[in-house]
Amino acid sequence: MGKKVLVVDDDPDVRLFSTTVLEENGYLPLEAENGEEGLRMIKSEKPDLVILDVLMPRQSGIRLFRQLKIDAALKDVKVLILSGIAKKTFLRSQQALTEFGEGQVPEPEFYIEKPVDAEVLASTIKKALE
Amino acid sequence: MKIKKILFVTKFEELGYDALKALLSLRKSALEHVVFMHVIERDKVAMQRGVGYKKDEAIRLKETANIRFIDWAERLFEQGLEVGVYIQVGSLAAEVAKAVRKEEADLVVIGRSHKTAMEQFYSGSTVIELIRRLSIPVLVYKPVSNNPFVTGTPFQRPLIASDWSPASLSAVDYVLQLKPLIEEVRVIHVADEDAIEGSSVMNAQKTRKEVKARLEEICTRFQSAGIAARSHVYVGRPAQEIEKAAQECQATMVVLGSSSKNRWVERWIGSTPRAIAEQSAFPALLIPPAME
Repeated sequence: MGKKVLVVDDDPDVRLFSTTVLEENGYLPLEAENGEEGLRMIKSEKPDLVILDVLMPRQSGIRLFRQLKIDAALKDVKVLILSGIAKKTFLRSQQALTEFGEGQVPEPEFYIEKPVDAEVLASTIKKALE
Repeated sequence: MKIKKILFVTKFEELGYDALKALLSLRKSALEHVVFMHVIERDKVAMQRGVGYKKDEAIRLKETANIRFIDWAERLFEQGLEVGVYIQVGSLAAEVAKAVRKEEADLVVIGRSHKTAMEQFYSGSTVIELIRRLSIPVLVYKPVSNNPFVTGTPFQRPLIASDWSPASLSAVDYVLQLKPLIEEVRVIHVADEDAIEGSSVMNAQKTRKEVKARLEEICTRFQSAGIAARSHVYVGRPAQEIEKAAQECQATMVVLGSSSKNRWVERWIGSTPRAIAEQSAFPALLIPPAME
């Protein structure tokens, strides 16, 4: 069975794009619409990779990423950020939260700013799961 | 009752980043999460004979809104705030009510309606429709740049217009918890002209004294909480007098309990909250009856 990849994005068109790429490359896609639902699914489904948007209702990808990386049980979950929000902003935001005393988190290993080609997404997923 | 999460509803032309920036003073109180919302009115993309559902137009409008929100979100994220977004096609009041429930927001911020008097008569005031659907306060934001009387952020010098209704007394409690943002509060009551007309000087003074004493009780609550407060009595038509008071007191916002009149009564005769929300030059914070 293919590896499980969870797509957390509020935009159904982006979820459809990502899950299609995943299926075409032999992975098992899962979907969540926001950060809160994403966290629940990460805990229950234990995916091999999470493709995470940043700007979403209920909870942003910035907070979800932070929750994953400060939780000893979840910190090794691999995350690929796929967002319209610039990486520079993501890092500054994490820096600000660290300064507010919320603890240090590492930089995301994989970050793609939207839009993305199917080939680039597929190759980044492959790299992340190696 | 703390304002931790605001739902910022914008059509962009009436409510921009400058408004958002002015509201960031709420961080001194409890604000930690801003949710942007843009509703594309259904008739802009609706089914039309020979055209069908204008999907391309819907995508164009959604992406235009998304680009603006990404820009705003980047600025807020970098300040350590949590940010969310909703871009929906539908009816504004219904979509806002849905988002408030999903997000458990504490305050809705919206711009002044651009409907004409005739449009408002037929389809109602969006702001009042929102108040009816929501059990949380609504701030109708007006740009400071359009108002020579307003200087400062909205919560700096609020003016509470009390008619002694439970909703307007809730407004007092609401403003009390915003203490870190407030410089001074003015509390006013607009007495009915009929109560003064035709009565003796002594009776008129008696009315004034009774009203003043009730207002002073409210001021004492603010002063006990460490907030400077003063009271004023006005006589006349409520909406005009509240506007006059806000100018004289150099208020930065008018706070009042929202109307409990039913939809049809309000459509025919109007209400003070509606008049302040739609016509006043000052930002208006409306506290709903459901908070009673």
